[in-house]
Amino acid sequence: MAEASVRVVVVDDHSIFRSGLKADLDASIDVVGEAHDVESALAVVVETAPDVVLLDVHLPGLAVPAGSTGGAEVIRRAAPELPATRFLALSVSDKAEDVVGVIRAGARGYITKGSSGGEVSRAVHAVATGDAVFSPKLAGFVLDAFGAAVGETAVAGDELDRLSAREQEVMRLIARGYAYKEVAAELFISVKTVETHVSAVLRKLQLSSRHELTAWATARRLL
Amino acid sequence: MSTAPATGDDRVVPRLARPRDCVATGVAAGLAEHLGWPVALVRLGFALTSLVGGAGLLLYLWLWALTPWQPGEQAPKRRAPVAWILLAAAAVPLGLAAVSGGPPTGGPAWFWPALAGVGLIVAASAWAGFLDRPDADRGPRHEFAVRIVATVVLALVAVVIVFGPAASEAPRPAFAVALAAVAGIALVYAPTLVTRFRELSEERTRRIREEQRSEIAAHLHDSVLQTLALIQNRAGATSEVARIARAQERELREWLFAGDAVPDRDLGAELREVAAVLEIEYPVSVDVVVVGEQRERASGELAAASREAMLNAARHAGGEVSVYVEGRPDAVEVFVRDRGEGFSLEDVPADRLGVRQSIVGRMRRAGGEAEVGPGVGGVGTQVRLRMPAAAPGEGGTRG
Repeated sequence: MAEASVRVVVVDDHSIFRSGLKADLDASIDVVGEAHDVESALAVVVETAPDVVLLDVHLPGLAVPAGSTGGAEVIRRAAPELPATRFLALSVSDKAEDVVGVIRAGARGYITKGSSGGEVSRAVHAVATGDAVFSPKLAGFVLDAFGAAVGETAVAGDELDRLSAREQEVMRLIARGYAYKEVAAELFISVKTVETHVSAVLRKLQLSSRHELTAWATARRLL
Repeated sequence: MSTAPATGDDRVVPRLARPRDCVATGVAAGLAEHLGWPVALVRLGFALTSLVGGAGLLLYLWLWALTPWQPGEQAPKRRAPVAWILLAAAAVPLGLAAVSGGPPTGGPAWFWPALAGVGLIVAASAWAGFLDRPDADRGPRHEFAVRIVATVVLALVAVVIVFGPAASEAPRPAFAVALAAVAGIALVYAPTLVTRFRELSEERTRRIREEQRSEIAAHLHDSVLQTLALIQNRAGATSEVARIARAQERELREWLFAGDAVPDRDLGAELREVAAVLEIEYPVSVDVVVVGEQRERASGELAAASREAMLNAARHAGGEVSVYVEGRPDAVEVFVRDRGEGFSLEDVPADRLGVRQSIVGRMRRAGGEAEVGPGVGGVGTQVRLRMPAAAPGEGGTRG
């Protein structure tokens, strides 16, 4: 792919993981900085203003409030200063609990640490161009949280607490392991349209006050 | 005891056993049947010999302790309200003690009757607690009533003894009886207290174990899980090392976060487990996503068909396999999707029964439906299973 080089900061408290990831990333990705905790991450990110921050969810830090995660904290503090920087969460687990907190803090997607270097690179490029990165597990969680499994469907387009029929279809296919391209082929829509739907769902996930989401987040003191 | 039948004819002597449907303990009825005597005669015998230094009573207790129930399933049924009879019987010595006032020569005349009354009351509550409890006709409410009455009477005895004239006339026997009454109250509630205490300590142990587990989880999350993730990352998604690391990670995580295992697992948990096993045995990485309510059991036909589909994908396709389970109010759907060579039902010879029988046939017989077709864009195979809610034949049958 002839994509422009993407400037990336890798934030993870395990140096061995950072070096491993750096070695695996595509040549089109330029790692301009590294950090190992919340404080150093804020310093490096603000200084380098990268396109994308690859951010560990469970990041140690002195000023992480109870119930929040280091990753969410970095996004909350750095995002207002760097509107152009996008955050991609990296998590060792693919449990929705670990991830929805950072998504609601402003991350554009998440991938598991078990993903290959190629997958991470693709996700970085997707996030850099403004797309959202959804894993099958996150899509499954979204379907659950927005009541899609019990037949709840949004009527109005601007409804934040439910998914539209089309968004549900897209999420179902992603949860079934379809790539965006495959989703597009299955639904006879363009890849761009799929990306629009996914971004809309991400926005709902971030902004919705749906009680399952909020109750879930409150129980873990994320809000 | 007698070995020859009393009637003298050659009837078969029944084994000495207590009938399950009895008046109080079944001793008299069992013995009468064994000996071939009328029950009334046996009872009269026990009563009369009891007058001779309590011999009959001793024999009765001895037989009660050693005679087994008649073979059978149902819980013994006691027709006589023995607990209430014992309570009523306690009124006799207690009344006797009340009227026999005045300090006689040896000691107070009320001493032994009062002690006997206390003993009978404790016996009544023990009977209600231990013997009547399993009886569905009596049960906890009956036990509760007996206990209340027993407590009130024992408390009354203690109060009358302590504040009545007895305390000043004969302090030492009065103290003994009052102590017996208070100890009796404690005995009335002892079984409940013991149970409560045991529950409490079990709860505490459970909590400590839970705390320890979450501590270990936090530690391992930072070390072992990270390392396993790194191994997968570096070794390539479907290499042997990565598969083993992934399976280990999954197992460890399940152990850390799932808590104690649920005996009857739901469909999602079952398929996750299957995925973990397949990843060890085949060069495959299986992603299982579960959405919605999980009413489907791991033992059902849908689970069996899903397992078969996943095994097929792992065996014939390999690579990445996606499993998606969605539980909706009207039906449960399972999608199994691989990116292998792909096959369709038309290409499968009729004698290769694997897919036909195990998946399609199984689902149809169980009242569901199954589709096996090419994956999206012609890549790989997709199996779609659908089981309507409350379908006939899907009542958690075998798998």
